[in-house]
Amino acid sequence: MTSAEDISRMFDSESKKLESFFDAADSKTDMNIHEIIEAYYQIMNVSSMITMLKQQAESEPEELMEKIQETEKLISQRFDTVIHPRIMEKLSFSIQKLTKNLQSENSGEKSKEQIELDAKLFDELRQTMSTKEFVEQYENGLSHD
Amino acid sequence: MIEELGKNLVELKKEFVRVYDGKSQIQEVIPKSKSQLFPIDESHLELLHQFATKNPIYYNFFEKQIGSVDCIVYEGDINKYWLNSIQHGSSKAPFSPTWIMSGYVGALLAKELGYSEVIDIGSGDGRIAFCAKILEIESYSIEIDDMLVELQNILTGILDFHPCCSDAIAFDYSSLNLTRPIFFIGGLAQMGGISLASGVLKSIQSMSHLMKKTGWVFAGTLSQKYTPDPKNEAGWGTLIEDNNLKSIQSISLPTAWTFHETDETPYIFAEPN
Repeated sequence: MTSAEDISRMFDSESKKLESFFDAADSKTDMNIHEIIEAYYQIMNVSSMITMLKQQAESEPEELMEKIQETEKLISQRFDTVIHPRIMEKLSFSIQKLTKNLQSENSGEKSKEQIELDAKLFDELRQTMSTKEFVEQYENGLSHD
Repeated sequence: MIEELGKNLVELKKEFVRVYDGKSQIQEVIPKSKSQLFPIDESHLELLHQFATKNPIYYNFFEKQIGSVDCIVYEGDINKYWLNSIQHGSSKAPFSPTWIMSGYVGALLAKELGYSEVIDIGSGDGRIAFCAKILEIESYSIEIDDMLVELQNILTGILDFHPCCSDAIAFDYSSLNLTRPIFFIGGLAQMGGISLASGVLKSIQSMSHLMKKTGWVFAGTLSQKYTPDPKNEAGWGTLIEDNNLKSIQSISLPTAWTFHETDETPYIFAEPN
């Protein structure tokens, strides 16, 4: 059986991992799709732990409850209000830019090589659009909180 | 014979996937000539090849022996049509074609079942309607996306399969004077197909004399990516039951969207109970 100390240690470790994602997001102007997905999964991971731990709040040590509050503050003040809107803006901008580029290239005969090169840009556009949909689901969750 | 042809096509596709090393977004094959595995009228094969060579979605083709069958491989790209459809929000499901050979096998089955008209709903580049026309079945191709209908109009020079740019749900089917039609519904149940099929069914049900004589073909999926329908039929079971239809036959055929999958697309043929 997992002890209260183990749970506390695990929560601490996951919160630190989350903070390192935030630091990385702050230090970069351009997070790639993999980094964006990883950051949101870590938020979901920590948020689920918080929900579970809060349900048994009475039996949890005070120290752990303080850590939970700190992490919640971190998510709300650093991620929800700063990093998340920045990611959304970046994704929207990338979609707009890629779409415009691909539309402008649409006319005229193209070589096999050019078509297959453009196909990679279309794949990038589809991937960015799916990532935006995924990030929007997080935003929808925020608006229902 | 048709089931056998379908099975041979699936085997050919599996072998093609194994040997294909190109980079195109979509790709498919058509046998070069009549053979024991593909006992297809040479003039029909010629028309299928014409459909591919004149179709702007294909930018390259070459000969290749796949297994024991001499084929022409067609390489294509449908990205610009996808981009157009998401820009205008004109379609519920993005265009992704069935194989031309699959359209032909599906149309053969429709003919064998005794249908006299094929209506290709959400027809993309109109290949199912085109294949029906090869078999001398009157055909109509209903597509909401204007860019795709423009493409279809290029191909009507080979055979006129009556492309029509229209919302299939709002279309007036009484204007076609149908006698014994079969509707091929484009799109998987889980990708907007249910609402498209329900809308068309409602239109035909309002012409009760016609509904009794009308067949339906639904493109299904066995992919675990999608929630299965509780009544099965590759995603269409509930719609089939709710509309008092019964499934009479199913045939699995290759499509662009199952190229990398092990399961092909099951086409469910249904009729009124």
